[in-house]
Amino acid sequence: MKKVRVLLADDHNLIRAGLRRVVESQPDFIVAGEAEDGRQAVAMAESLKPDVVVMDIGMPLLNGIEAARQIRAAHSDTQIVMLSMHSDEGYVLRALKAGAKAYLLKDSAEADLARAIHAAAEGKSFFSPAVGKVLLEDYMRKLQRTGKEDSYELLTPREREILQLVAEGKSSKEAANLLDLSVYTVETHRARVMQKLNLHSIPELILYAVRKGIIA
Amino acid sequence: MPTEEASAAATPTPDVSRSPLRWTLLGAFAILLALLVVSGVTAVHVLREMHRQAQSIRAASAEREQANSNICVSVQIYDQTITRYAASPRAEPDQDVIDGLSELSAQVSGAWNRYPEERPFLETLRDLVAEQRALYAARQPALVIKQEPVLHARVLECAKQVSLWSGRGAQQDDLALLAQFGELQSGLSRALLIAFGSGLVLAAASMVYIVRLERQTRGRYYELARSRHELQLLSSRLVDAQETERRSISRELHDEVGQSLGALLVDLGRLPAIAPDAKEQIDRMKSVAERTFQSVRNISLLLRPSMLDDLGLAAALEWQGREVSRNSEIEVDVQTGNLSENLPDEYKICIYRFVQEALHNAVRHSAARTATVTAEQSPDRIVVQVKDDGRGFDPRRTRGLGLLGMEERVKRLGGTFTVHSAPQQGATVIAELPWPPKTLESDRDRPRERV
Repeated sequence: MKKVRVLLADDHNLIRAGLRRVVESQPDFIVAGEAEDGRQAVAMAESLKPDVVVMDIGMPLLNGIEAARQIRAAHSDTQIVMLSMHSDEGYVLRALKAGAKAYLLKDSAEADLARAIHAAAEGKSFFSPAVGKVLLEDYMRKLQRTGKEDSYELLTPREREILQLVAEGKSSKEAANLLDLSVYTVETHRARVMQKLNLHSIPELILYAVRKGIIA
Repeated sequence: MPTEEASAAATPTPDVSRSPLRWTLLGAFAILLALLVVSGVTAVHVLREMHRQAQSIRAASAEREQANSNICVSVQIYDQTITRYAASPRAEPDQDVIDGLSELSAQVSGAWNRYPEERPFLETLRDLVAEQRALYAARQPALVIKQEPVLHARVLECAKQVSLWSGRGAQQDDLALLAQFGELQSGLSRALLIAFGSGLVLAAASMVYIVRLERQTRGRYYELARSRHELQLLSSRLVDAQETERRSISRELHDEVGQSLGALLVDLGRLPAIAPDAKEQIDRMKSVAERTFQSVRNISLLLRPSMLDDLGLAAALEWQGREVSRNSEIEVDVQTGNLSENLPDEYKICIYRFVQEALHNAVRHSAARTATVTAEQSPDRIVVQVKDDGRGFDPRRTRGLGLLGMEERVKRLGGTFTVHSAPQQGATVIAELPWPPKTLESDRDRPRERV
């Protein structure tokens, strides 16, 4: 089986060393290289063409989000696992918009990193459990305080299925095959879901799914 | 404001009463005024005196004319009496003649006493009257009658001379008056000249004094303006220094402590696989390390929100709003609209701290349920507004350090800061920043420090 090649990008040696140990402890992973800042990460992604880049958000010269955007723009095959200290949705959403598949909190990195890299390598999403928890808490508190209705209740079972598949990173065609529907129907459902939930992009949809615990 | 109090205390009140020039000028003005009053009063007095003299001279000359004409009239009457006496020659004495002579004699002797300067003429008259009287007493009417025309002629001549003399006297009096008037005129001119001269000197001295005062005032004004400016500079530098300090501490915490803890956590996570027996202890250590990691992260964020650098202002404001919502009873809604992501760092920090402080105030004092943060950018300015539905306050009376600090930050960028609130009406704080940014005054004065 082909090993997953991982590029580690973090400006702190200690963290990188820790990450390297975790990656190397997995038999099917191999560390392709280490970058100390965002620019170097972009350059090394260009030359090494890794399968997965584990990227810290706060890096000098070029921050992780911008570096992720550039890498994704040049190589759509390279997946990004974003490492962050923050579980705030501002970070998560921007990481998703930059094209990251997985979002890991640094304080739980060792436990989830292997799973996150696996998921990302397969094109699936992965989020630290704590992230989903924080997002859900924010969401529920807001609903409670403003007295608004949870829009998830408005979705039909079919729409919920579509929501989950899209959030998991499935294309319309894949979802259509799975549900035995036409691509057109899937896309219509997806549009209706986004309208009902007042979402404007796939990253927002993914964020919503994470918040609701639909995907993790 | 503390600024004004400090500068007022630093500038001593000038002691004007100690200035000698001031008193000299005052004295000189008093003397000048006294001079003018004295010369005016003297002139009025002299004029009145002259007027009185002229009137008495006129009265005297009229009186003299009167006496003169009285004598003439008496002579005329005597003339007629004599003529009548001559027309009816009788030897007995005529009472009319005696009366006429007595009258004439009385008038002449009256004039004799009053007009001593006309005595030569009066003497002639008196002699003639006495002669007539003697002739009449000697009962020589023919002679009386014969002598009468002589008397008559002499009287007329005398009258003419008296009148001539009196005219000359009046002329002399007029000349004297004229001379007196001339004296008065020259006296007045002299007084005026002195007053004018001293007034000129006084005006010059006053000008010097005023110019000196003006210069002093201007000097003080500049001094005050400079010290205010310096104070402003100082306070803005303080804000900068605080920001720089916070940033470096935050970075230190994040980079050193935070990352070390992170590495520790990563390794701790791998430990149970190596030493399964110590799992319980390792888990405890891990949870301590995690808590420490959290608090280091929170402190670091408070000091310098890394979102500003990582995600930009809008995301940082949204984060701030969610943080406040999580940790307080207020639900914060953040609308950043069209806020540019490429604001200068001073702007980002200013707006961020403004919102942070405003929300902080709302949490501590307002008992609000919701708060709204809006940031809007238009071609000429950026308006940031934080509004809550809490209990409000009276902005004229409440001016805590928080509001002052916000105002200071906003003013430093050339913006305006306003507070709208009233008890039970909620509170709105608004910062309007100029856009595009003005060159900061304080930045021109110092080398730019980059952090």
